[in-house]
Amino acid sequence: MNFELFTPFTDVVPSFFGWLNQGPMTLTIFLHTLIVLPMFWIYFSEKKRLQKEQ
Amino acid sequence: MANKKVSVWTDIQFWRRSAAWVTGFATILLIWLSFDTIGQITMGTNADLKNGVDKRVPAATVINYHIDYKMNKKRGHEVPVIGEKQLFFGKEWSPKDAEALLRLGKLTEQAKNCMDCHTLLGNGAYYAPDLTKAWLDPAWQKGGPMQGMTGKNTVEEAMAEFLQHPSQYPTHARMMPNLGITAEEAKGLVAFLKHMSSIDTNGFPRNFSKTVAQFKAGDTNAH
Amino acid sequence: MLTSIKTNEFRGDKSKELGMMYFRVALILFGAQLLMGLIAAIQFIVPGFLFELFDFSVARMVHINALVVWMLYAMIGSVYFMLPDETGVETVGIGLGKLAFWVLTAAVTVVVLVFIFIQVGSGTETSIWLINEGREYLEAPRWADIGIVVVVLTFYWNVFATYMKGKQTGIMTVLIADLFALAGLYLAGMFFTDNISMDQFWWWWVIHLWVEATWEVFVGALAAYALIKIIGAKREIVEMWLWIEVLMLFGSGILGLGHHYFWIGTPEYWWEIGALFSALEPVPLVAMFVHVLYDWGKEQGKAKAEGHPGAVMNNGPAMAWIVTNAFGNFLGAGIWGFFHTLPQVNIYTHGTQFTAAHGHLAFFGAYATILIGMMYLGVQYAYGVKKLTSTFKSKMAIFLIVFGVLGMTVALTIAGYEQVLVERAELGGGWTAFFAAQDLPWYIQAQVWRAMMGVVTFVGFIYLVWDLLTIGKHAKAAQAAAE
Ligand code: HEM
Ligand code: HEM
Ligand SMILES: [Fe+2]
Repeated sequence: MNFELFTPFTDVVPSFFGWLNQGPMTLTIFLHTLIVLPMFWIYFSEKKRLQKEQ
Repeated sequence: MANKKVSVWTDIQFWRRSAAWVTGFATILLIWLSFDTIGQITMGTNADLKNGVDKRVPAATVINYHIDYKMNKKRGHEVPVIGEKQLFFGKEWSPKDAEALLRLGKLTEQAKNCMDCHTLLGNGAYYAPDLTKAWLDPAWQKGGPMQGMTGKNTVEEAMAEFLQHPSQYPTHARMMPNLGITAEEAKGLVAFLKHMSSIDTNGFPRNFSKTVAQFKAGDTNAH
Repeated sequence: MLTSIKTNEFRGDKSKELGMMYFRVALILFGAQLLMGLIAAIQFIVPGFLFELFDFSVARMVHINALVVWMLYAMIGSVYFMLPDETGVETVGIGLGKLAFWVLTAAVTVVVLVFIFIQVGSGTETSIWLINEGREYLEAPRWADIGIVVVVLTFYWNVFATYMKGKQTGIMTVLIADLFALAGLYLAGMFFTDNISMDQFWWWWVIHLWVEATWEVFVGALAAYALIKIIGAKREIVEMWLWIEVLMLFGSGILGLGHHYFWIGTPEYWWEIGALFSALEPVPLVAMFVHVLYDWGKEQGKAKAEGHPGAVMNNGPAMAWIVTNAFGNFLGAGIWGFFHTLPQVNIYTHGTQFTAAHGHLAFFGAYATILIGMMYLGVQYAYGVKKLTSTFKSKMAIFLIVFGVLGMTVALTIAGYEQVLVERAELGGGWTAFFAAQDLPWYIQAQVWRAMMGVVTFVGFIYLVWDLLTIGKHAKAAQAAAE
């Protein structure tokens, strides 16, 4: 079967982003995570503020 | 006190801060990615070509080489293959002359507004064929109908002749209009097209370009 | 609409008056856009039509430039219109705003005349500076680019200074930031390079980050304002939604840019980034749709509970266009965009009539609709009408235009499907493959349907102009008779 879950880097020029792009959605999941994680922190800091204000 | 029920989800400040964070960070990521990409799509040098270094966008002197477009097992799609030296309009072009010619070609492409009928790299208008790999189109090669029609012996001469007098060589009821392209401009345009065909487009167009006859015979141009 | 300036109903609201000046030019350019589209559509079916006189490239160039320019006009007009309401103060530089209007209009006229009569130049820098830049949507020559930047800076200064002087609402804050990015992005399209990959890389910064990021957020702000204005929606709720929309639109749209970097020479990692971020782009569009309907239902329900019979909105046609916007944005940008946004699909659909189908429904659904809605708001205020209700002409206009554009989209989708299967999948996309697909009977049939639906759209446009010109006067007369 011509299928591998994690494929080696195949692009022309090696680069950081190319290296992260190693298999199904690795790069995009990484970037999404980076964006979403700090929102948890914003959430809890706002929660704290609201509780204080009450 | 610390466990009071509050609704963060309906709090405007939570959304405002999140919006600012997401927008700012996405912008930073885009800028970072852009720097990386710009590095990769900057034109290569003449030395790269001589040493066989693959560039996504080769130097203008790529017009001095034979170009092909072949299936690459490792990449999983077709990629341009730069081969042996090949004369272009009967000569080998110095880096300086090649750059000047490419520049003339790109300026002409813009001034004549090619992109409002054709697509280049798949972008533009959909009234006329895609030009991404036009240089490699079987129709322009020896024995192909376009080269035959112009009565020329090389791809570049046939293309240049067509570009100067397009409505003399109709291939379809829908014709290309005469845009007043001069002989020099036509040379530039062909250099531009040859250069574009050497750009690594990650396999677009796919399966380029089977003729109807080849298709019937179960053949393909991408080996 | 024409006489609105003379009617003096603005009661000194010079900013709204200036907005109306922009709306008027926008409507004229919209008409020009449709006529050019019809010429180009006929050329698909009758290739000899105006051949070597007014070629497809010329008609198409004017078609899409008139489109972009009329929308920018209507956007500027909308901002001048809402500015006094939002900030609570007079717009500071009305004189300057008027001057900018005339400079811009003169420049646009010259550019269009050059496009139509000179058409193309020789392969020199001079052509790019004076005649035609030859890059889709950004064909305006460089001198005009610079002029546009100056005019837009004037506009921006005007909005910014008014904002600083007056109330700083959430809607205005979003708008101020968004307009800054929108104007700044234009600069990314103002240079020459002989590297076609680099050229398209930056070209998409302008086009994509306009229509899928900054313009979308602009529409979000406009809809927020309009909902407050038309149905009296609550500001706190509307503004919270607006921030959520900004988050989702920019969060998906900025990196969604990657869906244009699959095949232009850019690295393979864009496949993933472009696919996944742009696949999320429809989410905020659904949210915007839900939001509009929710607010409308809520205000209507509240009015009913309080015992007011009838519709809660004070501007029927504007509300109809804004609801159409909510749905059209979702359908044209969201659904039709998602259709071809994954690289696995896009490698076949890239640059086919499929793209054109999406382009039409998206630009129309997301932008034309709400901007027409703003024009109706303009007319209402120009004539001092308390409650503007749809006339027969308003209904014909919206029905025929929506039906026409949907019809064109469906026809182009079918044409695109044929092209994808035959030209791309079956034959591999060369010169012969292209024409083999163009000659398919079903493809040709679809092009004929597109042209016919284009005529339907144009008839709808005539009704629209007629309605905008007359609805205010009649409503005012009726109002006076009732009082
Ligand atoms: C009378 C109605 C219309 C007709 C007959 C028409 C026709 C056309 C034609 C023939 C093209 C060229 C497509 C190609 O290159 O193959 C085009 C492009 C385009 N039109 Fe229209 N059009 C009409 C209305 C509109 C409207 C209402 C909008 C948006 C509000 C619009 C937006 C566009 C856009 C964005 C493109 C470029 C599409 C792309 O490059 O993918 N058009 N139109
Ligand atoms: C209101 C928002 C939008 C507008 C006005 C719009 C308009 C357009 C236009 C005019 C084009 C053709 C550009 C050209 O002429 O080459 C295009 C291409 C494209 N759009 Fe959109 N779009 C919008 C939103 C979206 C969304 C939300 C998605 C994805 C979910 C999307 C996906 C795409 C893709 C993948 C292409 C490339 C087509 C190709 O490869 O030929 N668009 N868009
Ligand atoms: Fe896009």
